[in-house]
Amino acid sequence: MNSREQAATRRGAPARWWRAHRWALGQSLLRLRERPLGTALTVAVMGLALALPLSFYLVQINLDRLGQALGAQQALNVFLKQDQTQAQAEALARTLRADPAVAAVTLKSPAAGLSELAALQGFGPALAALPNNPLPWVLVLRPRATAAPAAVRALATRLRGNSAVALVQDQAPLRARMDALTGFGRRVMQVLGALLALAAVLVVGASVRSDIQSRVDEIHVLQLVGASAAFVRRPYLYAGFWLGLLSGAVAVIVVLLLELLLAAPAARLDASWGGRLHFAALDATPLLVLLVCAAMLGWLGARMASARHLAAAEPN
Amino acid sequence: MLCGLVQDQDDVPVIRFEQVSKRYPGNANALEALSFALAPAEMAFVTGHSGAGKSTLLKLIGLLERPSHGAVTVAGRNLAQMRQRGIAQHRRMIGMVFQDHHLLLDRSVQANVELPLVVAGMPAEERAKRARAALEKVGLGGMEQRLPVRLSTGEQQRVGIARAIVARPAVLLADEPTGNLDPHLAVEIMGLFAEFQAIGTTVLVATHDLVLIKRIRKRVLVLDHGRLVDDVPATEVAA
Repeated sequence: MNSREQAATRRGAPARWWRAHRWALGQSLLRLRERPLGTALTVAVMGLALALPLSFYLVQINLDRLGQALGAQQALNVFLKQDQTQAQAEALARTLRADPAVAAVTLKSPAAGLSELAALQGFGPALAALPNNPLPWVLVLRPRATAAPAAVRALATRLRGNSAVALVQDQAPLRARMDALTGFGRRVMQVLGALLALAAVLVVGASVRSDIQSRVDEIHVLQLVGASAAFVRRPYLYAGFWLGLLSGAVAVIVVLLLELLLAAPAARLDASWGGRLHFAALDATPLLVLLVCAAMLGWLGARMASARHLAAAEPN
Repeated sequence: MLCGLVQDQDDVPVIRFEQVSKRYPGNANALEALSFALAPAEMAFVTGHSGAGKSTLLKLIGLLERPSHGAVTVAGRNLAQMRQRGIAQHRRMIGMVFQDHHLLLDRSVQANVELPLVVAGMPAEERAKRARAALEKVGLGGMEQRLPVRLSTGEQQRVGIARAIVARPAVLLADEPTGNLDPHLAVEIMGLFAEFQAIGTTVLVATHDLVLIKRIRKRVLVLDHGRLVDDVPATEVAA
């Protein structure tokens, strides 16, 4: 080849690369279409396997929200004695705001407390029957995120010794228990998610392996006419990518259906808790992440299967 | 343009065997201490009885087999040192015609013929044009869209020949290419191979058809039990 031909060959390389990929893309789609039942089964099995981790994630974010609603961080609820006036309550709040362990203090009046209680299902008629408001002034203290648990406990002890305080409700132990529970749940879901992702890789690998075994003659002919290993492998990688992407789409549809089915019972549960639970649906980001991950898992499964089985098909 | 071969090195053999032996496990030597060379644009026949080693010789050149001993050099490159990537490039400059055709039975005749061009990354229009021209050359014009299973064995053989020549290879290897063809068509196919030789392709044909060998009158390598027992120049082939 002279220098002009070599230059022409170099110039044509991107076009050849693009044509080779376009051919592989077409071949991969053709292969999926040629085996509609096998493709549908692979996509269904992998889609359901991927729907489970996504469902776990949905459960986990809602458990986290539930934990926040029930535990309300490390907040200290300080109930003042009945004889404490608004001015005394405000004075104590000002003092506490100066404490380095405290991030914020919210003052809740007896009237506000009563209407909050009335909003909870079933309490309205009972509260209406009361001759006067029995609730005291309440200070809700939010400790700084950087505050050590020991400092928050010391603050609670100090407040319990204050003559104006009737009761100090420390949420930290409840929050710690909730955190431990959700942490455990999160780990279980991560492990199951990893196992199901591995299952998805194996499902695609098995499908690609079966495809390769049924096409040994074709692979052999391609190798005889000078196809490189990458050229022969490429349609299988694309097929794995499509299987993964389709499975991801199935998983997304399954989870969206799940959300739809659970919407009404979740709304009823939320209403029974006075609208404090705020159940969340998945937004677009995790759904897109799942689609990308599913496509990559499909590609990975195909890569592993093709690396192993195509080497065995080499005529040399 | 021929695929990837330097055409101005007339003195360097395109194919060179140096003391090449091939032994299959548990069998006698398929080839034994074989040495010969083919110049650029030379056409030769390899002949001998069944099991003489004709097909093995072609497989060594196409890198479908590796020699047990000795060196096979094609276009100046020692095939023993060739890695996976190099093997694919090597096969792209060789057109191979097989006894058992190696066609994809679920693809059209044109799709089969186009395969080497697909691998080479040629545009679709150019592929189709070249495939039609190659099919015309082997007498299968108008059969582009047929499936190979609908063709006779001889026609399938010609599809295999069209596929071997479509990329205008630098080296053309043919293993009993006329075995399933009638004598008239066999001569036509050999004429086609001679045309390729005339434009610079090195052609090596394995056959036991002595009538054809005498008619075409090219160099003849005679094998017997894996040994080269005679090397007859074209000028000495009896008519």
